[in-house]
This record gives sequence, C-alpha cells and structure tokens, in this order.
Amino acid sequence: MSGSIEPGSGGDVVIEATDLARTFGEVVAVDGIDLSVTRGEVFGFLGPNGAGKSTTIRMLTTLLRPTGGSARIDDHDVVGSAAAVRRIIGVALQDSSIDPLMTGNELMRLQAVLHGIPRSEARRRCPELLARVGLTGAADRRVATYSGGMRRRLDLALSLVHEPGILFLDEPSAGLDPTSRLALWEEVRRLNRELGTTVFLTTQYLEEADELASRIAIIDRGRLVREGSPEALKATVGSPTLRVDVDPVFFETTRRVLADFGPDRPAREGRVSIGLDGGAARVAEVVRALDDAGVPVTHLELDAPSLDDVFADATGRRLEGADE
Amino acid sequence: MSASAVAHTEGLGHVGGVALAICGRGMRRIRARPTLIMPVLLMPLIFVISFTGAFGSLTRVEGYGTDNVFNWMAVYAALQGAVFAGVGGASATAEDLENGFFDRLLLTPGSRVPILVGTMAYSALRSTIPTTGVLFVSVLGGLSLAGGPLALLTVYVATAGMAAVFCLVGLAVVYRFRTMRSMILIQVFGFSSMFLSTGQVPIHFMNGWLHAVARVNPITNVLRFARQGFLGDLTWAMTWPGLVALGGMSLVSGTLAVWQLRRLAA
Repeated sequence: MSGSIEPGSGGDVVIEATDLARTFGEVVAVDGIDLSVTRGEVFGFLGPNGAGKSTTIRMLTTLLRPTGGSARIDDHDVVGSAAAVRRIIGVALQDSSIDPLMTGNELMRLQAVLHGIPRSEARRRCPELLARVGLTGAADRRVATYSGGMRRRLDLALSLVHEPGILFLDEPSAGLDPTSRLALWEEVRRLNRELGTTVFLTTQYLEEADELASRIAIIDRGRLVREGSPEALKATVGSPTLRVDVDPVFFETTRRVLADFGPDRPAREGRVSIGLDGGAARVAEVVRALDDAGVPVTHLELDAPSLDDVFADATGRRLEGADE
Repeated sequence: MSASAVAHTEGLGHVGGVALAICGRGMRRIRARPTLIMPVLLMPLIFVISFTGAFGSLTRVEGYGTDNVFNWMAVYAALQGAVFAGVGGASATAEDLENGFFDRLLLTPGSRVPILVGTMAYSALRSTIPTTGVLFVSVLGGLSLAGGPLALLTVYVATAGMAAVFCLVGLAVVYRFRTMRSMILIQVFGFSSMFLSTGQVPIHFMNGWLHAVARVNPITNVLRFARQGFLGDLTWAMTWPGLVALGGMSLVSGTLAVWQLRRLAA
C-alpha cells in the first residue's frame, strides 16, 4: 500500500505530493507517495533510517528531481517553478550543513545574500534571529566552537532569514542531548504558534513526532503505511502492549501462555509482546498464568499504545531497532 | 512570507551579490585557517627555487632569450601555482558537497550560476598569493622587468585566468562526481597540461609528439603572453594569442561547469 494522505484540518493545502517517486538506478527510495499538508500544520514524517524521509524532503525542497509523480509547494511545482518554491521555503537539513570556519554572523549574512535580502534589512533581521535562538553571545565565534545544539539552533535561524511561511526540518534533533532537544522543540512550537509557520519535519524519534506533530505520516521502505494525528494513530492499535522479558529457555512457553491473552506484537529479541485484551485489569491474570506454567519473569511492563506500536502494527517491525 | 516582498533574487545585483559573497567566504576561510593557502603558496615557491637551482645554467643555451633562469622559470612556477589555486577552489566545493554545505547554496531562489562565478573569482583571487610569492623570490634571484611594470600585470592576468580555468574544469568534475576523490583527476590533468607546454624549454627545443602537443596546447600561448615582459618588450603579437587562449579555455570549461551544475539537482 502506498498510502494516500488527505489534509488534516481542511485548510488550504501548502505541500502536496502526488504519486511522488524517486529511484536511484535499481533502488526505489520513494515509491509513489501521496500527501497533503495544510497551512499552519506541524506535519511529522516518521520512519527508520533509509525509509525515504530525506529523499522525500530533498524532492520537496527542489534539491532532488523526482523520477515519478509530482509535488507542489504553495501551488508551485517543485520542478517547473523550483526558484519560486525556494523563495517561500526555509530548510534546515540533516548534518547541519554549516561551515565550521565561519562565524554565526558571517553565515547569517551569507544566507541573507543568497536569499536576496537587502543589506539594511539583513542588518536588522540577522541579530533578531540569532537572539531568538539564543546565540547572540556566540554570534562572532566560529561555528567550530559551537556545541551540537548551538549548531542546530543556528541552522534553524539560517533557515528563517527570509521569513519563510513553510519550514522543512530534516531530523532536527538528531544527535542532540535532551536539554538541547527540548529547547529546539520549544522553538519549533513557538514558530508555529506565533508566526503560523507550516512545519514539515522528518524524524526517526517517536517522542519527537509525538511531541511536535499535529499530524504524522509513517514511511517505511519508500511507502506511506499510516497517517493521522498521533492520538488517532495510537487509537487504531487498540489494546495496550504487554512486554515480558524471560530467559530464552522459556521463550516458547511464554509465547504459548500469552497467546491466550491477546495478539502477538513485534518485539526485540528476548522479549515477548502482545496486545493485552482487556487492558491493565488482566495483568494479574497473566502473571498467575506464567507462574502456573513455571516461567520465571525477569521484567514485565504494560504500556499504552505508542507510535512504535503503530509502526509495528503497520510493518510487522519495531521502529526502534528497525535499522538493523 | 514578508521577505518575498523585499527580497531581490533576480537581476545583476543578486548575481553580483551572491558571487561576491561566495568569493568573500573563501577568503574569510583562508583568514580563519591560513594553512588552507600554504600548499598553494609553498608548492610554486619550492618549484621556482628548485628549478632555478637545478637548471641555473640552462639559459646559457641559446634560444631561451635570457641569461637569467628566473626570467624563464618564474612565470612557469607562477602558473603552476595558479593551477593549484584553481584546483583548490574546486576542492573547496567538493568539501562543501560532501559535508552538505553546498545544499545551502543550492537553495538560493535565484540563479545558481553566481555560485560558480563566486568560486571561480575566489580561485582567481587566491592565485595572487602564490604569484606574489613567486615574483618576490624571483626578484631576489634577479628577475628583470624588461617589459616594464606591465610585465607584472601580464603575470597576474595570466595566473588569475589559469586559476579560473582550472577551477572551472575542477568544478565540472566535482559537480559530476560530487566527491573530493575526483579532484585527483584534475590534478593529473592540470600538471600534465603544464608539462606538455613550453613551461620548461622553448618549443624549438622539443621534438616529435611533444613538439606537436606543445604547439597546440593553449597554455603555450598563455606562457608566451605572461613571459614576454621578462624576456623583452611587450608586444600585441604575443599578447592577443594568450588572451584568446585564456578566453577560449574559460569558455569551454565554463560551459562544461554550468552544464554539470544544472545536472546536479537531477
């Protein structure tokens, strides 16, 4: 299933892809996806490494030409009107793409020139943006001296220099420590809330998608497999997930016992997971059944459905560890 | 999207602004890390010192048009430095492509050609550093300005032009292969082109295929153009073929580079 995604809130569509595809020789990176994002949304594009997220974002931002289908950004075709698309989008790409030998100020000025911002306007806007992301004090320092979090924040400021209405963020918090990640999330929320910026973000972090996105599309092996609000997606999974860790010797016995309590769900090695029919009320019953079967349980947990469960439900694999 | 109302991403102003910014970025990188220019400066210096030392007596042979080897070798070493400077400019782009910085440049809403023009201008500008170094050492060695101060101008024009040409050739290759490793192709091409010219010996000293290649090699004309002011007076007959050679090489390499740049996002 390639998955067809309809706009979430019924507002005007600013990002629209129709049967969008990209192949590299024999490799199909993106396999005919349809999606629509409405103005003012924070749209999360979730998937494991190699799922096709970055290829999709590169096509939507005109950095890569699609080999099939089409995409429009605010009614501009990404191939036919690429310059117009670049004029209205801001892009913060993976790997930061920041020159370590330049200072924050120098990069901001270069970015302003690239986007044709008049010098007087750039002089006003660049310090404002650096202040907004908390980098005023570091503006004249070389980027080589910045932490990972500071680089990502600078990248965000750079992507905003021409005040775009649509912002693409490719793995914005990859490699960041928890504090930097929270600060970045807050800034993305603020942009969306205060300026109404439409945000299209790719991520492999379930928590990031859950925290930021009002709507999520899940991509796996180049195809869209699920779409909806985080709550709606989790609701589709139904019962909570019971995870039981046991010694490998008792693995099959555990599976057999748990099969009476709900459907099997994908789990990492050494763990048995099921969707527990009846929810928390039946945990004691499960424990008794395992005890009667002589299975010594080393760990047991019950979680409300997560986006990982949604991914597992759609693909038969867990997102966490899906790279392996 | 208020920026759309004030941004100017078309016209000569934007083209010039972006090209200048790219060129300025390159020079700022050198200021931030002077080691970036050291190979470009040292290589031709070593070259001029070692060649003039090893072949100091060469110009006693009739046909060189000078009795001081610096008058012959200085321009050759300066042009080698310029080739190095040009390839270095393209290498910086290869680095940008590998680390993702080039994506930032590609996201400019205007034409992408100024990115190429700026890189070329940066290469031409940085070529003045090794050229100045070579000329300084050569003056110490007795370089004569037989053609007057204009002799220096011809060297700077020739080296800037050669740096631009080899930068464009390098960019065509880098845009095609997108890796730093591809630069080895340009280095081999650059040095071969120089060796297959009249860099070291006059053309009538050469025999067979070497003579034929040197005769059609446009770099031979560039060498004649840049060298004339150290061997005698400057003449239009020696000047125009050099300028035409530089213009022709720039046109061909520029066309190739623009073609590959346009293919880059495909």
